[in-house]
Amino acid sequence: MSTPRQYKTIGEDLWKSRTEKINAELFTLAYGSLVVQLIQDYEDYAEVNKQLEKMGYNIGVRLIEDFLARSALGRCADFKEVGEVVAKVGFKSFLNIAPTVIHHPSPAAATTAQQPPSSAQRSSLLPSQNAASQAQAHNQPGASFILTLDENPLAEFVELPEGALPAPGNAQGDDTPGGLWYSNILCGVLRGALEMVQMQCEVVFLSDVLRGDETTEIRVRLVRYLEEEVPVGDD
Amino acid sequence: MSHHLFLLSPTDIPIYSLAHQSTKSTTAQTGGTLSSNLPSWSTAPFSGTLTALSGAQSVGTTSSQNGGAPKIGAGQDRHVIQMIANASLDVVEEMQVNSSAMYLKSIDKFNEWTVSAFVTAGNMRFILLHEGKNEEGIRAFFVEVWELYVKTAMNPFHRSDRAIRSPVFDARVRASAKKYL
Repeated sequence: MSTPRQYKTIGEDLWKSRTEKINAELFTLAYGSLVVQLIQDYEDYAEVNKQLEKMGYNIGVRLIEDFLARSALGRCADFKEVGEVVAKVGFKSFLNIAPTVIHHPSPAAATTAQQPPSSAQRSSLLPSQNAASQAQAHNQPGASFILTLDENPLAEFVELPEGALPAPGNAQGDDTPGGLWYSNILCGVLRGALEMVQMQCEVVFLSDVLRGDETTEIRVRLVRYLEEEVPVGDD
Repeated sequence: MSHHLFLLSPTDIPIYSLAHQSTKSTTAQTGGTLSSNLPSWSTAPFSGTLTALSGAQSVGTTSSQNGGAPKIGAGQDRHVIQMIANASLDVVEEMQVNSSAMYLKSIDKFNEWTVSAFVTAGNMRFILLHEGKNEEGIRAFFVEVWELYVKTAMNPFHRSDRAIRSPVFDARVRASAKKYL
């Protein structure tokens, strides 16, 4: 369908045409006080992470309607395209940031399609074969993409207190006990939005600069297509 | 020349403190005691004050608030420094009423220490104890500390009555002190 460059343009146009924008500092401070209040109420960072994700889910299921209405984009051909649209159009039109996206085809499909697994998705197969098997790989449950956020408007000026950092010595992982994923609401938003377009996904943070990591990364992994939910035409 | 900076919240809670040795002046640069900071010819007249102050240490301890832990040596007269800073707060309040400027220049003098103050719009007090006169440098320093403080205050996890523990803030204030003082 549309090339990445076209998606970028669509995203920018949507951002420019949006008439109601919010002051960035107000947004950051509001989100910050939300997180602090949750921490005071629950007093357990794992629980706060869960609540942020739930809140994000509720936002996501509503946000997708607004997004589809404004962008008028059709159905994505495969999960790879989903990743491109989310990164270049979605994030751009709502938060005015442009995360980079790296695609990972489903591990099961990659081996059966006899393709050298590579995240850059270049292959020496014939173009038609290439496209077909790539599309298949990217459509299989298990396909994923990783969004790398260079800037995060939710986390401007934020420094985590000592208790919110993961315990020292723990390897980097998304289930590190004791750690707070400050922007976890984004994971919920993505999960909710994608579920409304019939994709059940698992969305987690892999790293966060607030925690001392090099980059802020979110991984979106396709669990399955919600086929049975699609309203079938009466034929 | 040494400088002592204190940041105080509107409710007089010490938020941050820093002791800084300037590399710019020509007087002796060794670490803490009062007498080594004074020019040698004036030690004799001040020695009386020095002993009086050291003798008053126990009084100073009880009356002064124990803000941040002492950063650079100077264990004994640290309490004196804090006492001087505290005493100047009354003067700050008096001057606040009269002047609407933020930088209050030098508001108080105690023997060889001059106290300069800077009051922000949110009634945060920055008190700087220093020897000698360096108005422009101190003004620039206060403005930079103010900007750093505002960034810290934007952190949702910061509470106005808690001490600032961020190592980033600390490093930046030290760098700023090195630049201006």
